[in-house]
Amino acid sequence: MLQVVSAFGYSVRLIVLVVVLALVIGLALAVLFWLTVGLSVYRSVQDTRQERVRDDLQSRLLDGVFSEDPEWDSWVQTLSGVERDVLEDLLDEYLRELDGENVARLQELGDTLGIPDRSKQRLGASGEYKRLYALTWLALLGRPEKIHEADFTPETPRERASVARLRYETDDLDSPAEGVSVMLNGATSQFSIFGQDTLYRIATDDPAALFREAQEQYQSWSQPLLVQVLSVCQHIGTNVTTEDLSWLVGALEHDVPAVRAAAARALGNVGWRQDIRSEPFLTRLVQDPSPEVRGATYEMLARWGDQQAVETLSAALVDEEDDRARLVGMDALVTRTDSAPADHPAEFDATWQWSREHAEFDDTVHRFDDRSGESSDSQSASGFLFDGVVHEDGDQKAS
Amino acid sequence: MHSATHLVLITLVGFGSFVIGYYLLINAYYLGIHILALFELDENVKESKWDPPFREFSSPFYPGIGIVVPAYNEAATIVESIQSMLSLNYPELEIVVVNDGSTDETLQELIENFELKPVSADIPVEVPAEEIHGVYRSTRYEELLVIDKENGGKSDALNAGVWLTDMPLFCAVDSDTIIDRDALLQLVKPFLERPKTAVASGGVIRVANSCSISDGIVKSVSLPKTGLPGLQVMEYLRAFYSGRLGLNRIKGLILISGAFGLFQTEAVRAIDGYRHDTITEDFDIVVRLHRHLVDEGREYTVDFIPEPVAWTEVPSTRRVLGRQRRRWYRGMVETVITNRGMLFNPKYGRVGTLVFPFFVAAEMFGPLIEGLGYLILPLAWYFGILNVEFFLIFFFLTTGLGVFLSWFGVFSEVWSFNRYDSPWQIFRLLWYGILENFGYRQWKTVVAWQGLVEYLKGVDTWGAMERTGFDSGDE
Repeated sequence: MLQVVSAFGYSVRLIVLVVVLALVIGLALAVLFWLTVGLSVYRSVQDTRQERVRDDLQSRLLDGVFSEDPEWDSWVQTLSGVERDVLEDLLDEYLRELDGENVARLQELGDTLGIPDRSKQRLGASGEYKRLYALTWLALLGRPEKIHEADFTPETPRERASVARLRYETDDLDSPAEGVSVMLNGATSQFSIFGQDTLYRIATDDPAALFREAQEQYQSWSQPLLVQVLSVCQHIGTNVTTEDLSWLVGALEHDVPAVRAAAARALGNVGWRQDIRSEPFLTRLVQDPSPEVRGATYEMLARWGDQQAVETLSAALVDEEDDRARLVGMDALVTRTDSAPADHPAEFDATWQWSREHAEFDDTVHRFDDRSGESSDSQSASGFLFDGVVHEDGDQKAS
Repeated sequence: MHSATHLVLITLVGFGSFVIGYYLLINAYYLGIHILALFELDENVKESKWDPPFREFSSPFYPGIGIVVPAYNEAATIVESIQSMLSLNYPELEIVVVNDGSTDETLQELIENFELKPVSADIPVEVPAEEIHGVYRSTRYEELLVIDKENGGKSDALNAGVWLTDMPLFCAVDSDTIIDRDALLQLVKPFLERPKTAVASGGVIRVANSCSISDGIVKSVSLPKTGLPGLQVMEYLRAFYSGRLGLNRIKGLILISGAFGLFQTEAVRAIDGYRHDTITEDFDIVVRLHRHLVDEGREYTVDFIPEPVAWTEVPSTRRVLGRQRRRWYRGMVETVITNRGMLFNPKYGRVGTLVFPFFVAAEMFGPLIEGLGYLILPLAWYFGILNVEFFLIFFFLTTGLGVFLSWFGVFSEVWSFNRYDSPWQIFRLLWYGILENFGYRQWKTVVAWQGLVEYLKGVDTWGAMERTGFDSGDE
């Protein structure tokens, strides 16, 4: 009954079709089988070979690091291909872990292995990851001149961050402003945390440079990038002396609450400015329609921390109707004052008690950790220290 | 009489052709997904080799993570589980244990071992969960918060945790899941890479049976010796690894394992958290996130991370496995029906037009139709129309392609992270890839039908099932 199959005007005997199908599937299975088993065996052999040489290489490497004359040259010449691969892995690992003089020794080893030159060549590779590996090696080995020799211009956000980081760590930047420009000039899309952190390190040296760059560029930024830069501004310390804050104030009018919230947090840095502290301005902020933005504003006020700011914060919290915003604000408020305002509704009281109690628990644990002298796993949860200002939990929500 | 037989014959041949056509389509789709998975893996392997030169832990931009651990009658293991979570490697962590009305000593164990003290203030936010009896803080570990509440099931417990964590991200974990010490650092990567648009990421779940475990860490990985757990390793590799990688490539990930997923807290609160009336809350939440974010017009990503690993013990008896799979099937049907508005809806992009319809075709109808296919084989034989060619076609298509897809999953694993590092284990995995087509696969079609029947019946008895809590021994 099913002897002949016809389609598109062609007729094939079914048995032919079945045989062809069987052959195709059988062949595909055979290929996949040998490929999988072969690859597994290859990787297993490779692992065993690497494992066998690792310990010896490691102890010789450490001997070299701590000796007067490590004699890298003569050692490296005796190494096989596998040994070199393992050694490069170890080098990568120790460059990240050690510091000071030891790093200089390791960097010499990197030179002996020819890594800087190889990396310089790879900067011209077509795959982004190859260029990123190369930039990472140059950063670990502290060789910014290779970027200049290769005349390399970073394009992607990750490349921008890698180049800026390398040049920043090796003091190769003429000024922080140049670093900020490497990161942001022409950038439109968001950075990874590595990029954000790099921008933060560079801008901490000269916050004004970041504000100037932002003033010029922010209109071409995507919304995620804008939020990111605002969140960097929030962290870079209180010595922002730039006069022109119009881009930051402009961001407070943005349609998207996340942008307004990030802008409000960034204002935590410029609490010394009279125009920012003016009452109509603050009234508008604490009456923002979005609870998220109001919460951020409360955190900003707590960060200013002076009496006037704390009073404004307490008064706003008394009127706050959103549970979550009130809680965020209260967590910030209890870091600044021990006494609740005299007149307040029941919701305020409940939140006040809750936040107070949690702050006390935090203190108890800290005291316990101090007494037992152990470094707590939770050190980061107690806030980050910048310019002598401890930013309590509120800051963590920004990222 | 003659015409009746003729009708049966026509029907059988027609249905046979339909089954074959259906399978060609589904398998072509799977093949496509698996090939995409290779590209995705290539990218992932390259990315995992790139370790940016900075000290992550001193960066103020790492988002804090609240780990939400629902616990129901886990007195025997809870302390050890929480200990190992406290030692996870991550700069900023909060651990929220939700005691979901346990009838054993779960809460007492926690109070004694972690020196908990009750918080006397009332909770200042409204929490969409069963009544909360008390909140406890540890006087030893700043990051530990324990919520004691009325039993309400897993979703309810998760919601309590989600509403009370202070962290911008939260990780939903089953308390019997073993998490690799660095797993959070991996799982958070999409949030580091795209801090402002990532909303969810899910990790790989692997089979912990036969692995050696001490102090909450998997010390050495090995393949379960025989039987059901071994087959499930194969299955997890194919479906939860290769399959999800492929979907990730086309930005169509619609399922993140409930045993280990990371979410933006605010986004989950915005969709009112986990739904109480579903049994596969992990599937439901991701589908609803897609819906909500598209409706809001937000730019977002949902990601799958192949490298960080959480380990879970899988059922080793057919009875328990059957129960688990019937539950999965029931939950899937329910989520699909609830979100049927997304089917073929171009508004939801590829998820609506491609991924979701194919998911329904393959995962929901696939096993049902396959089950029918097995039924018509003896019928066809009885009516004398089961010729060799027909049978061969059916056999080659289902088994040959099935084995190929399974092996593809194994190949991806070997080619990328190679956790099962001995070739002998790989060889055995490949063997399981063949074995599962004889018996196991057919059994699963029966389970799917049972699940469907349970779903249809369950509509009436839903209220009774809702409050059973969850049983960690099974899942």
